[in-house]
Amino acid sequence: MTHQSTATSLSYREALHKAMHDAMAGNPNALLFGQGINDHKGIFGTTTGLADKFGKHRLIEVPLAEEGVTGNCIGAALNGAYPINVHIRSDFVLLAMNQIINLAAKYKYMFGGLFDVPMLVRLVIGRSWGQGAQHSQSLQSLFAHIPGLTVIMPASSGSIVDSYAHAVRKHRGPVISLEHRLMYDLKFEPEHEPVVLGATPFSQRKVSHGSDVTIVSTSIMSLEARRAGEWLASRGISCDIIDLHCVSHIDADVIMKSVARTGKLLVADTSWQPYGVSAEVCRIVAMRDPGVLKAPVVCMGMAAAPCPTAKALEDIYYPNLTTLTDAIATLVRGKKDNGIELPHERSMADVYKKFKGPF
Amino acid sequence: MNAVTSLPRDVALGLYRTLYLARRCEEVIVRIYPDDEMKTPMHMSMGQEAVSVGICKALAGNGDVIASYRSHATYLAHTEDHRSFFGELHGRTNGTADGKSGSMHLADIPKGMLGASGIVGAGIPVALGAAFANKQQSPGRVVAVFFGDGAVDEGAFWESLNIACAMGLPVMFVCEDNDLAVHTRVSDRRGYSSLPDVVRRYNCMVLEDESNDVEAIYRLGRYAIEQMMSQKTPAFLNIRTYRYLEHCGTAPDTDAPYRKAAEDAFWKGRDCVAMQRKRLLEGGVPESEIVKMERAIDADIEVSVAAANQAPHPGQDLLYRGVFHEAS
Ligand SMILES: Cc1ncc(C[n+]2csc(CCOP(=O)(O)OP(=O)(O)O)c2C)c(N)n1
Ligand SMILES: [Mg+2]
Repeated sequence: MTHQSTATSLSYREALHKAMHDAMAGNPNALLFGQGINDHKGIFGTTTGLADKFGKHRLIEVPLAEEGVTGNCIGAALNGAYPINVHIRSDFVLLAMNQIINLAAKYKYMFGGLFDVPMLVRLVIGRSWGQGAQHSQSLQSLFAHIPGLTVIMPASSGSIVDSYAHAVRKHRGPVISLEHRLMYDLKFEPEHEPVVLGATPFSQRKVSHGSDVTIVSTSIMSLEARRAGEWLASRGISCDIIDLHCVSHIDADVIMKSVARTGKLLVADTSWQPYGVSAEVCRIVAMRDPGVLKAPVVCMGMAAAPCPTAKALEDIYYPNLTTLTDAIATLVRGKKDNGIELPHERSMADVYKKFKGPF
Repeated sequence: MNAVTSLPRDVALGLYRTLYLARRCEEVIVRIYPDDEMKTPMHMSMGQEAVSVGICKALAGNGDVIASYRSHATYLAHTEDHRSFFGELHGRTNGTADGKSGSMHLADIPKGMLGASGIVGAGIPVALGAAFANKQQSPGRVVAVFFGDGAVDEGAFWESLNIACAMGLPVMFVCEDNDLAVHTRVSDRRGYSSLPDVVRRYNCMVLEDESNDVEAIYRLGRYAIEQMMSQKTPAFLNIRTYRYLEHCGTAPDTDAPYRKAAEDAFWKGRDCVAMQRKRLLEGGVPESEIVKMERAIDADIEVSVAAANQAPHPGQDLLYRGVFHEAS
């Protein structure tokens, strides 16, 4: 079952604001907790004005107490609320891992199904312009490893609107959403909204159809993959791009069907490769049918180091349009000397350049 | 504030010198930040320098320091090394960490600046262990850990306070209380009215300051260290101060809704740098001597900025260096 996601020409930030607004308007028991949610910056503009409309009893400014606030959300969910908790960097939620992993993820199962824990945790991945080791981590695999959690990485405005509405209205368990700070200012035109490849807004999405190579990507890497795919399309290489979106619940058939057709697979994730999304996608292919592969899988992600602050190092720490395009071309052509003209590092570079904080 | 210093002249001058250095370095940052050569988020100390300078000078070379991400003044007060400082902010190989740290993680292990963390409150537990090791290996050496009023809201603070008190560790907890966590006031975040009163219930010495006066803070620090040594307890210092600039970045944001004009005027009326300068003048230090010192610092800072701009950028060879602990 496939369907188009909500067509919207909102920016990622506007989509987040709409999603927060709709959650509050649509469910009188929805609550929003976060540090700074009611200040004049309102979580990068995603919660501004909401307290005026829905009241400070529903938009709750909290102390720096990540574990306490997370446990508070779990308790509120047990007693009928729909709590949303936002952290302006995914790195900060590490202080709440006990509540998320030992409690929220297990509450339903551990008590024999007595409880639902419907809640949404919004995490923002930082990148570029000196975010450094403690403000840039992309922690999806830590969460996706844990049975009981649903982990999404919205890569478009439509993804946000659809997935958050689904989380708030339909889903009965804890959802961890990793938003990407560098996408906040991007507008997503309706024609760029990927097609949803499944029954719910949490399903995988098809960014583009192609026959030479399968690219499985997450978050902002889905945008880079689309740009690389567009560049390569006019140079004789056609990419089948799947935006993974829900990294905790991957539809193996979607990936296998594509790889069976193309014979080649490149995984482009926002995080480190070992034990992560790259490793998981490889596991799926290796267990299902490694025989469909006509070449070794290629994975791209952050260098296996903490993130350095200096721009000179940051530039080689992350994949970019040039290195991604080169890797795709090399995989398809089967040789390093692939003969494909490479795009200049542009694409997201403009966004990086404009991004100077604030935090 | 006492009009005339009761400290030895060289100490009073030394305090001013370091205050001026910290202030001037940040004024230079404000000036050159728009050039975009320093691609790192900045949490500026401006307005709050007296806390770091007073305490670090009180350590008198026999103490370690751990800072928060708002670490410029602490780093400069403890090390006075503005060459490495500007190198690091410029992301160059002459920085404290080859540009891997940027503004948020300044450190200098040989001088006992044991790091600064971008995770609020994360340095506090680390200070315990540093003090534990000192207690056994370098008796008499204390650890001063700096953190904001927001960090106190974290469990890590209360766990650490309890551990330090239970174990009698030589830790000086220094709360740089600017009443703000980003834009949120203490009164909107706490379910109690007086932090010092709560901490007094622990086996811990509690001291307070609201003067923003570097000499008062210095004296408080000296007193705290003496008491810690004789009583074998940790100390908690709540030092009120005021942040001049935005939470992150170099703009004054005086018109932002969370600011209060009267508060702004009150604190700028007791600017720590101006106060100490005035005191020196009133104590008979000739203005020409002060100006001479200031101009020398100004010139030396410009040398640091130029050196940073000329230093090499880190290269590929540094990307993976230090990820794991290599056997040497
Ligand atoms: C664990 C954690 N939570 C949230 C943040 C985001 N954050 C950075 S600074 C800050 C405010 C801290 O205020 P305070 O401790 O008073 O220090 P100040 O900035 O006033 O010096 C917040 C919420 C963070 N860095 N780490
Ligand atoms: Mg503060």
